[in-house]
Amino acid sequence: MSKQVLDGLKAKFGDRVDIFERSERRAYVTVSNDDWIPVTRHMYEEAKGRLATATGSDRSTGVELLYHFAFDRDGTVVNIRTTLPKPFPKIESLTTYYPAADFIEREIFDFLGVEFTGHHDPRKILSSHDRPADFHAMRRDE
Amino acid sequence: MSTLIPIGPFHPVLEEPEYISLYVDGETVEDADIDLGRIHRGIELLAQEKTYDQDTFLVERICGICSASHSWAACLAMEDIVDVVIPDRARYLRTIVHELERLHSHMLWVGLAGHILGYWTVFMWGWKYREPVLDCLEAITGNRNNYAWYCPGGVRRDVADEIWPGVLKAMDEFAVQTDMLLHAILDDPVILGRLKGVGILTTEDAIAYGTLGPTARGSGVPIDVRRDEPYGAYSEVDWDVMVQDGCDCLAVAAVRLLEMLESVKIIKQCIEKLPAGPIATEVREIPRGEGIGHIEAPRGETFHFIRSNGTNMPERHKMRAPTFNNIPSFRPRVKGESISDAVLIFAVIDPCYSCTERLAVLGPDGRPYMKGKDLIALSHAKTEELRKNS
Repeated sequence: MSKQVLDGLKAKFGDRVDIFERSERRAYVTVSNDDWIPVTRHMYEEAKGRLATATGSDRSTGVELLYHFAFDRDGTVVNIRTTLPKPFPKIESLTTYYPAADFIEREIFDFLGVEFTGHHDPRKILSSHDRPADFHAMRRDE
Repeated sequence: MSTLIPIGPFHPVLEEPEYISLYVDGETVEDADIDLGRIHRGIELLAQEKTYDQDTFLVERICGICSASHSWAACLAMEDIVDVVIPDRARYLRTIVHELERLHSHMLWVGLAGHILGYWTVFMWGWKYREPVLDCLEAITGNRNNYAWYCPGGVRRDVADEIWPGVLKAMDEFAVQTDMLLHAILDDPVILGRLKGVGILTTEDAIAYGTLGPTARGSGVPIDVRRDEPYGAYSEVDWDVMVQDGCDCLAVAAVRLLEMLESVKIIKQCIEKLPAGPIATEVREIPRGEGIGHIEAPRGETFHFIRSNGTNMPERHKMRAPTFNNIPSFRPRVKGESISDAVLIFAVIDPCYSCTERLAVLGPDGRPYMKGKDLIALSHAKTEELRKNS
C-alpha cells in the first residue's frame, strides 16, 4: 500500500535510503544525518505525508530519531529514522519548512538533549522550569 | 506597543493548569504563547518499567475522558509487533466502547462550550444527556471511566446479552436529544454570533500545523483514522466522516455535534451485528520488533509507538495525545481576534480535561429529591412569576 511512497523515495535517493517494509501498512526507512532534511522534506512536500509525531530514544548507537509520517489516503505509516552521535546530538530542525514539528522537537530537546539547529523557539516544553539545563530525563548515560 | 495578558495557569474556565500569554494591542490579540508541562507525569518513562499487561492500565490514566483510546492504541501497537488475529466479537466490543467514549467526550465538550459562552442551558443539557452514556459504559465495562477493557489480543471481559436492549434504548433517546441540541445550537443567533467567523484556521494552516480530529475536519481536512486505516469494526458498518469547510469555531462545533449522530449509528449497528465467539486471542509473548498503533480518539488521532526488545517490558513506549498536535494551531487562530474570544478559541480544540464527578441530592427518604420533570416545572413556574411581575 505504501509502495508508491517508497518507490518515490528509491527513485529520488537511490541507495542513500535503507528501506525495511515491515508489513503492508508499515515501513521503516533509515537515512544518514546529511540526508535527513532532503528526505523528510520530500515526505512532506512531495509525498504529502503528515507528521503524526516523532519518537526520540537513547540507544547504544546514539540518540535515535524516528519521525512517523502518516499517509491518510493509503492508511499507511512510513517512519524515517536517523541516529545522532552522543554526547552532543545535533541535527537540523524540520520547523524551517514544517510548523507541525515545533512542539515535538522541543520535547525531544527537553528529554534527550538533541539540539535542533534553525528551530525558531528552542525552549524546554514539558519539564519544570527549575530543572538544570543539562538534565535530560530520558538520556541513559546520565 | 503590546500588553501581556496572562490566562492561567489556574483560570475559571480552564479545568486543567495551562499558562497562555496573550500579547494584545488594545483589545486585539497580536500573538500568543502557550506554556505546557504543569501536569507532566513522566508516563513514557514509567511505561518502560511496567510489563505490557500493566501498560494497558497505565496508559488509561493519561486521560480520564479518552482512556479507552489510549489503551486501544497501545494494544494495536503491541498487536502490530505480534501480528495476532483479533476475534470478531472482540473487534465489535472494542468498537462499541470506543464510540460510547466519543459520545460522552463530545457531549462534555458541548457542555463546556456552553459554560465558556455563558450559556448555562447548553451546559446543563450537555452534561445531563452525557450521564446515560456513562451509565451504558458502566453497564458494559463496570466503570464510568478507566474501563480496563482492552488487552493485547482482545478485550478482558464478555458482556451478557441482557445489557444490550438498555444500551439500544439509551442510544435512541440520545439521538433525539442530540438532534434537538444540534438545532438549538446551530439555530441560535446568539451562539452563531459568538462562533461564526471567529477563530479562523485555514485549510493550509490546519495541514501545516498537523492538526487532527474535529479541529482538522472543521477546517475542511478530510482525515479520520477510522476510515483511512480501518481498525476494529469500522469497515463493516455504515457511517460517514463529518467534514465542514467553515474553518471557524462554528464549523468545529458542527463537526462534533454531527459526529455524535454518526457514533450512535455505529454503536447500534455494532450491537445488532455483534457476533458470538471468543473475546480474545491469547498473546503469550511480544517478540523483538517495533509496532505502531494509531486510532481516532474523540479529539483526533492518538498515536502509540512501541519498541520491544523481547523482554516483558517495552524498551520504548512513545505516546502522543491529539491535543499535543492541536494546541499549536491556537496561535494562527487567535491572531487578530478579540481578547473576549481567546478562551473560546482555545477551548474549541477541546483541550483534554479529565474530571469525572457526579452529584445526586437525596431527600429524607433516601430517594432523589427532584427529578428532571420537577425541575422543568419549577423553571416554568419561575418564568411565569417573572413575566407577571415585569
